Amino acid sequence: MIGLLGELMASLHGFLERVGAMTRFAGRVLWNVPATLVRFRLVVEQVYNAGALSLVIIMTCGLFVGMVLGLQGHDLLERFGSEEALGTGAALSLLKELGPVVTALLFAGRAGTALASELGLMRATDQLSAMEIMAVDPMRRVVVPRFLGGAIAMPLLTAIFIAIALYGVQLIGVQVLGVDQGQFWSQMRGAVELEDVGEGLIKGVVFGIACSLIAVFEGYNAEPTAEGVGRATTRTVVISAVVTLVLDYILTALML
Amino acid sequence: MNQSHQPANGGATFADADDVAALHGVDFSIDGKAIFRKLDIGIRRGEVTAIMGPSGTGKTTLLRLITGQLRADAGCVVVEGRDVARLSRRDLYAMRRRMGMLFQNGALLTDLDVFENVAFPLREHARLPERLVRNIVLSKLHAVGLRGAARLRPQQLSGGMARRVALARAIVMDPQLLLYDEPFAGLDPISMGVVMRLIRSLNDALGISSIVVTHDVREISQIADSSYILSDGRVVASGTPADLHDHPSPVVKQFMAGLADGPVTFHYPAPDYPAQLLDRSEGA
Repeated sequence: MIGLLGELMASLHGFLERVGAMTRFAGRVLWNVPATLVRFRLVVEQVYNAGALSLVIIMTCGLFVGMVLGLQGHDLLERFGSEEALGTGAALSLLKELGPVVTALLFAGRAGTALASELGLMRATDQLSAMEIMAVDPMRRVVVPRFLGGAIAMPLLTAIFIAIALYGVQLIGVQVLGVDQGQFWSQMRGAVELEDVGEGLIKGVVFGIACSLIAVFEGYNAEPTAEGVGRATTRTVVISAVVTLVLDYILTALML
Repeated sequence: MNQSHQPANGGATFADADDVAALHGVDFSIDGKAIFRKLDIGIRRGEVTAIMGPSGTGKTTLLRLITGQLRADAGCVVVEGRDVARLSRRDLYAMRRRMGMLFQNGALLTDLDVFENVAFPLREHARLPERLVRNIVLSKLHAVGLRGAARLRPQQLSGGMARRVALARAIVMDPQLLLYDEPFAGLDPISMGVVMRLIRSLNDALGISSIVVTHDVREISQIADSSYILSDGRVVASGTPADLHDHPSPVVKQFMAGLADGPVTFHYPAPDYPAQLLDRSEGA
């Protein structure tokens, strides 16, 4: 019993230590943001790496999520005889929940792991040390541009995901299952408020900051071994997923 | 050997004017394990100084102390007459701009090609016209014989080529002090000879000072002006390569001749071998 309690305390201590380290790391990242923005070309490169290179997976998944939503939404609404509300229901669920959350999970899996493994390998192969010796701060040259690139790319990817998913809903609902096209779009336009779009955008920004920060933190602090880089990559996905869902609940509760 | 010096204002010290870098009474430990105890080393200006010793004696740690990546627990590390521990971040970075370091694996930036790797410090620290950057980079690549490899990626280079590119990058800012971490490890005899001659010729042609951490006794003996042998956290011998070959210390004799038996044991501490084989209490 005492042993179990000791282990519990030790893991709690380890968790708090890690939270503290990440908070300090976040402070260093934010402190270096202005200096990095001066060299915006570095950030643009990373927006391309985190954003443009994730487009295919985001668009493919968006299309299929939308198509599934079309099928399920139609099946549900048909029971109440209100299939024409499919556009409204799909738009609200995509804007407020599915869009930002699913994009964040995909982003963590594609761009987050790429960031963490790249930084971890740079640590393992002494590239970060070499920069320090060359009097180049790896924080400004490598970490912050990648963080900003991810944080900027994520809301853009969210918007693209939602747009493609809505096309998927329309494809199934209107083109395949025969919902009236005019009703589909006009009901959606009438019901969706600017606040709903804002809610999705805020979530996209917050998830982007969180997922990018987790990825660069795990990669930068990875143990410089093959196993350490692997662990950092895994932790990036797991922690990003958990943090995204926890933040989603908090943001939803605050914005309702 | 230099006497211990007291740091003065702004990190300046009264170091030996002939020393480009020096460690005075340095203690350093990692996770409670002592790596150095009262270590004293002086690196003479304009010379190639070899730091040798068995694996695990902290040779790379010594380089990291000189570059300010690690801080000594006690004593002081002086570079160009200034105590590294007392330098502000800005001064430390200014000091590093006058240094170059060759890492064991080259540590080339894998997202840049050879040309951009060598140009990296120039682009980060100096706003030079592109034509000038090109000429400087090509001249450094020419010095290491790899001008023709300018557009190759690091992944396309052999180990020896990667180290030569890293050497070109290390000298691109015209440093005063060059540090080499195991420059001969894993190289074929031809690459080893090339790197060896480069270390000597760059040191003499550029008028710089070099510190070479290695355990390749025969190779370094041909190019070093002076050497230190470290063991058990201390300097056990120092002098010219010829001095070390005739040194009476058993540790030095064992190291220089590459003998398995001697004060430096081959086996990590372990229980008696036959007894361990017969012991049935240990797992299968």
